[in-house]
Amino acid sequence: MTSAPIGVTGLGLVTAAGIGSQASWRGVCAGVSAARRDDTLSGLPVDISCTVPDFSPSRDVGRRSNLMHDRFVQLAIVAAREAVADAALDPALWDGARVGVVVGCGLGGVSTWDQQSRAMAAKGPDAVSALLIPMLVPNMVAGHLGMEFGATGPNLVTATACASGATAIGTAIQLLRDDSCDVVLAGGSEAGVSPLIVTGFARMGALSRRTGEPAAASRPFDVDRDGFVIGEGSGMLVLEREADARARGARIHARIAGYGASADGYHMTAPEPEGRAAGAALRSALTRAGVAPDEVDHVNAHGTSTPLNDVTEARMLRAVLGSRPAVTSTKGVVGHTLGAAGAIEAALTVLAVENDTVPPTANLDRQDPEIEIDVVSRTPRRRRVEVAVSTSFGFGGQNAVLVITAA
Amino acid sequence: MPTMYGLLVDLLVDRFEVDRAEVTPTTTFDDLDMDSLFLVELLLVIQSELGVAIREDTASPGDTIGQAAERIESQVAGATSS
Repeated sequence: MTSAPIGVTGLGLVTAAGIGSQASWRGVCAGVSAARRDDTLSGLPVDISCTVPDFSPSRDVGRRSNLMHDRFVQLAIVAAREAVADAALDPALWDGARVGVVVGCGLGGVSTWDQQSRAMAAKGPDAVSALLIPMLVPNMVAGHLGMEFGATGPNLVTATACASGATAIGTAIQLLRDDSCDVVLAGGSEAGVSPLIVTGFARMGALSRRTGEPAAASRPFDVDRDGFVIGEGSGMLVLEREADARARGARIHARIAGYGASADGYHMTAPEPEGRAAGAALRSALTRAGVAPDEVDHVNAHGTSTPLNDVTEARMLRAVLGSRPAVTSTKGVVGHTLGAAGAIEAALTVLAVENDTVPPTANLDRQDPEIEIDVVSRTPRRRRVEVAVSTSFGFGGQNAVLVITAA
Repeated sequence: MPTMYGLLVDLLVDRFEVDRAEVTPTTTFDDLDMDSLFLVELLLVIQSELGVAIREDTASPGDTIGQAAERIESQVAGATSS
């Protein structure tokens, strides 16, 4: 296996900050949280979320989308179309057998599951749709993208909970480096804002209870943080070996230079307090990228806004990277999109590298004194970003870290 | 009383996002991008609307809406006469 440089030639984003990469980037740079009260959650212990505004499946995806696609697939299709167009690739012309699809997803079609199980409880088996299973299974998101683009190379979904999107991108660069593919559409998608799932996260104490002021609820690294705000969305990247991309004259947004992964081997949901395995994943990603820790300019942190994650992560970042990088958590604006988060954040990190700009962390009014890293707040920080890191950590103790560098 | 064809068209329009103007008795399910899985769903919906068992092979994508309506009608007639 070679360590050929991998270029990002296309980007697509669908987030609570907007549909499209530019809308999402502008929203994240504005630093204003997209969280709001959610009528679909009324009467539940937590009734706020970061959902994609003005998303219309029949307009944005196509006819009968609601009958065959769960929302996590719909969001992915829209993000993927943007990414492929952005890469200036024409699926009618490419050799589909050399095009792979790797998508991270933590949950799958949970809204469909939730709604169909209520229908069955109320009206019996005759109320269950013949499309339940194809709408529900998490791998279907990659399957649909294969159909949409005639991509018939390796096609899979990665599930490492909230690290799934980063795992997908890490897996994709391996498929390119071992020459299994020439192009990989890699990213993540999640639409977990269903009454059952939100209640589950609320019952385990993971969600912010600041429901009276939704826009202030997601506050990574702030001393008054009390949990995450659930979000939905998709981030998709078109990846190619840099040499191939240059040969076809493609624009390269940035490079995925390294990937590191590990497992805490510690607890179902709590991070290992010393962050040893997470730190090992970060070091491994840096080594593979050929980058020294003191060269890192920017970190797009996992930064969920839970009391435990943010302090543990900050300690780990400080130990491995020192205090030099400008850190942000874009979850302050777009919420925690679970299996999509790693991919959305990788795409935003690519944009940070491309624009030499670090977006602010929303609601960081008073940084937790136990968090001794340089977190950007209030306004975007303009600075040279040559080397950036995006960290993702999943329930189950799964860690995935990407190093993204200027092309 | 609405005809079976009329009922079928109503279901296609109301439940399957079909534009009424694009359906005629000679339109095929293929013309409407209704694949085999959507046909399974359509037959399940008809079955539950009419309360009559409809055979799974009643319609395939190459069939016309008119043909499917006739076959459903004959199964309904068979069920009510027995």
